[in-house]
Amino acid sequence: MSTYVERFPAEAKVIRSAFYVSFVSLAIGALMGLLQTLHRTGMFEVFSEPGTYYTVLTTHGVFLVIAFTIWFLVGVFVWAVTTSLDRGVESLRFTWSWYGLMSLGTALAGIAILAGFVDDWPIVGDVSADVLFTFYAPLQAHPMFYLGLAIFIVGTWVAGVDWFRSWWVWKQENPDERIPLPTFMVLTTMLMWYIATLGVAVAVLAFLLPWSLGLLETVNPLLTRTLFWFFGHPVVYFWLMPAYMMWYLLLPKISGGRLFSDPLARVVFILFLILSVPTGIHHQYLDPGISEGFKFIAMTNTMFLLLPSLLTAFTVVASMEHGARQRGGEGHFGWLKALPWGNPAFTGMALAGLMFAAGGFSGMINAGMNINYLVHNSFWVPGHFHLTVGTAVALTFMASTYWFLPQLTGRKLFSRPLALVQVVLWFVGMTFMSNAMHRAGLLGIPRRTAEPWYDGFEFEAGVGSVGELNAQIALGGTLLTLSVAIFLVVVIGTALNGKSSEIETSVIPEPLSGPEDSPLVLDNLKLWTVIAVVLVVLAYTLPLASIIDRGGLLGPGGRAFPMSLDSLVVLAQLATEGALPR
Amino acid sequence: MNVHQYERYWLIAALVLIVAIIATVTYGAVGIGIAMIDDSEETVDPDALGEHERFSETGTHQVGENEYEVNVIAWQFSYEPGGSPDPPIEVPAGSEVTFYVTSEDVIHSFSVVGTNVNTMVIPGEVATMTVEFDEATEYGLLCNEYCGELHHDMEGEIIVHPEEEFDLFEIPAVDAPEQVDAGEEAEITVTLANERHQERSTTLAFEFDGDEQREDVTVDGESTEEVTFTVDTTDLEDDDYSWSVTVEDGMERTVDESGQLTVGEPEED
Ligand code: HEM
Ligand SMILES: [Cu+2]
Ligand SMILES: [Cu+2]
Repeated sequence: MSTYVERFPAEAKVIRSAFYVSFVSLAIGALMGLLQTLHRTGMFEVFSEPGTYYTVLTTHGVFLVIAFTIWFLVGVFVWAVTTSLDRGVESLRFTWSWYGLMSLGTALAGIAILAGFVDDWPIVGDVSADVLFTFYAPLQAHPMFYLGLAIFIVGTWVAGVDWFRSWWVWKQENPDERIPLPTFMVLTTMLMWYIATLGVAVAVLAFLLPWSLGLLETVNPLLTRTLFWFFGHPVVYFWLMPAYMMWYLLLPKISGGRLFSDPLARVVFILFLILSVPTGIHHQYLDPGISEGFKFIAMTNTMFLLLPSLLTAFTVVASMEHGARQRGGEGHFGWLKALPWGNPAFTGMALAGLMFAAGGFSGMINAGMNINYLVHNSFWVPGHFHLTVGTAVALTFMASTYWFLPQLTGRKLFSRPLALVQVVLWFVGMTFMSNAMHRAGLLGIPRRTAEPWYDGFEFEAGVGSVGELNAQIALGGTLLTLSVAIFLVVVIGTALNGKSSEIETSVIPEPLSGPEDSPLVLDNLKLWTVIAVVLVVLAYTLPLASIIDRGGLLGPGGRAFPMSLDSLVVLAQLATEGALPR
Repeated sequence: MNVHQYERYWLIAALVLIVAIIATVTYGAVGIGIAMIDDSEETVDPDALGEHERFSETGTHQVGENEYEVNVIAWQFSYEPGGSPDPPIEVPAGSEVTFYVTSEDVIHSFSVVGTNVNTMVIPGEVATMTVEFDEATEYGLLCNEYCGELHHDMEGEIIVHPEEEFDLFEIPAVDAPEQVDAGEEAEITVTLANERHQERSTTLAFEFDGDEQREDVTVDGESTEEVTFTVDTTDLEDDDYSWSVTVEDGMERTVDESGQLTVGEPEED
């Protein structure tokens, strides 16, 4: 009957606060995206020092895929747990404490990165973290970067505890009830996240942070890289599962129907829980020091991970069709016309789903072990993931914001037509940018490269020309940035809008096939967690043991390559000279 | 559990698709024989590559009738050999070449443009890959793994020479006096090694004080020849003179040696 903010005003404030951090990160990230497209296509010489490009790219990667996505999804998870259990958080102080930890982590890592735009700071000297979001050693960032990252992740762990706690208390009061689907989705996602983040936590806390502080002289670059990808693949599902959640919960509702099947939604989330982690080595198909057998196992697991996505495609389309038919849609394809295309939340999510299908195809190429030689680290790869995280996730989050904001503020959406233009513009811009990136990658043009033009050779385009591809990338990037600008206008406009009483109810309708059709075992989170852990142990024990056996825990030698650590040197000098204020 | 009939069909189709993709990749590995970069080589100390058996000898080496090994060190921000200031990587056409690539600093890639020769280069690890070069041509080489602020400048070149023009000469030793009295003859003996397994001919160019002498030499496979150049100092004033000897084999890689000859009494200082 009522909006979310009326039912849970304090929680609505938490969610709004998380969303706002997310949107600021999006704004910063998108601006960097624009600079990248203009510079690396040669359209416009943005940086007189091409090295600055990598500070920009680190900002783009970290602010978008760590801050924008995760800040948004913790907000969504608070909403999902509180609405579906129909109870507020157990302790608001506890909730704000993880919010605080995540903020502190974001600030530390963010400052370390952004400080790289200035060469020399008073007192602390050179602070920067131009290591990109993968921070592969021996490239070394300022310790503040690693520290921020660690604190941020601990913050998400505490947030997970908050949601488990809500569920636990609810379960004592409702011992015979099934876990409501939205809460089930949150819990399975968080279980996956706990397992996945172990990799990066060990990499950062045991190796990279002490190393950046000078406590360790060397690290094993292959080991820290493998631990990164232990986390780096499943983090993709940490972004994607909330987007799927929106497709399962909001999309059917907005289409005017009901979710097709509750049991299958549960199966999908369980598959993600157990299959997301033992696949990370597919990012290391071309790494020396890992045997072909381990790569093959990761490839097989990866392919089975297609299953939950393919099942989702079915359920989502079936639920939309059901909704359209409720609205009077008819015919084989005629029902498509009956969908609420005028609703930006619907249209955005539907377009996001469509692009995800395209991203799925290029993903199958990436995952195809020996086919990967052709595309690895080429421009094809960002072409691929701007369809997945950059659209399936990002556009779904933006589109669902149009549904969430009125719920969270009690204010009407600022401008529906503008919001509609925004989601369509994203689709058009991404079509240009992503398609051209894929094609450029097939010519051998590398990713993560400020000026991909060389003295000794040129890239040969079979169809069209490199210039034409560059023009499309720059055009696409410009449209995308414009789209983000419009998104921010709508968000700010809504926040400033007057209160309205005509906002639809936030209650999610019951699925067509409800939880009573789900076997009880699906809710046995312990069982699925154990299976997930066993699979991870099977997939990772031998590769990690072999890497450590070959190169040692701290690697076979080598040095650190600080992307600048002058500040520590300066501090050390000040300390030894006694000039440091006490 | 209640699974809709269409959903069941879809599930089966999805599983078939997954199995088909795995089968395709397996066929690529087993049937076509596309090997993955693996862990066949031992680790190396990136700080001591100069003492390493393989990496102290970077460049191309013949190891069989048509088989070659190329040892490459990637560094911020070039390849040795392959990129400047080193010469390009040179191999003959019609050969099977195994690259051994490692890094002395951070993670790089070794990626040959327009081919599927593409590997990560990780300090401490050695990436190996075997490639067949059929035709004489040139390839661009680039680093596609971010490795620092000049990453975009990291490039190189691979030149595939016609088989009959490809040489691997070295000058392992030169026997030359440091000083001769004015009016005496100086003999400079150059040892020329042919590291190919086939007999090869080339020209040695010897230069002394602006005068050039040339000598055609034929060397058996995997052996050496000595060539002596004689310098007459009769018309020379007492002074220090430099000489050099260069292999003129048409390769991009320069093989040369040089030294000094003092004519008359060495100056004391
Ligand atoms: C305004 C919209 C955007 C533009 C114009 C844009 C543009 C680009 C370009 C050109 C690159 C490639 C840079 C290179 O490899 O040299 C890139 C990389 C990347 N983008 Fe975006 N992007 C946008 C939005 C997004 C969004 C919404 C996400 C994710 C939520 C995202 C995630 C990434 C990531 C993770 C990378 C890779 C960073 C790295 O290689 O370290 N981008 N972007
Ligand atoms: Cu992955
Ligand atoms: Cu590089």
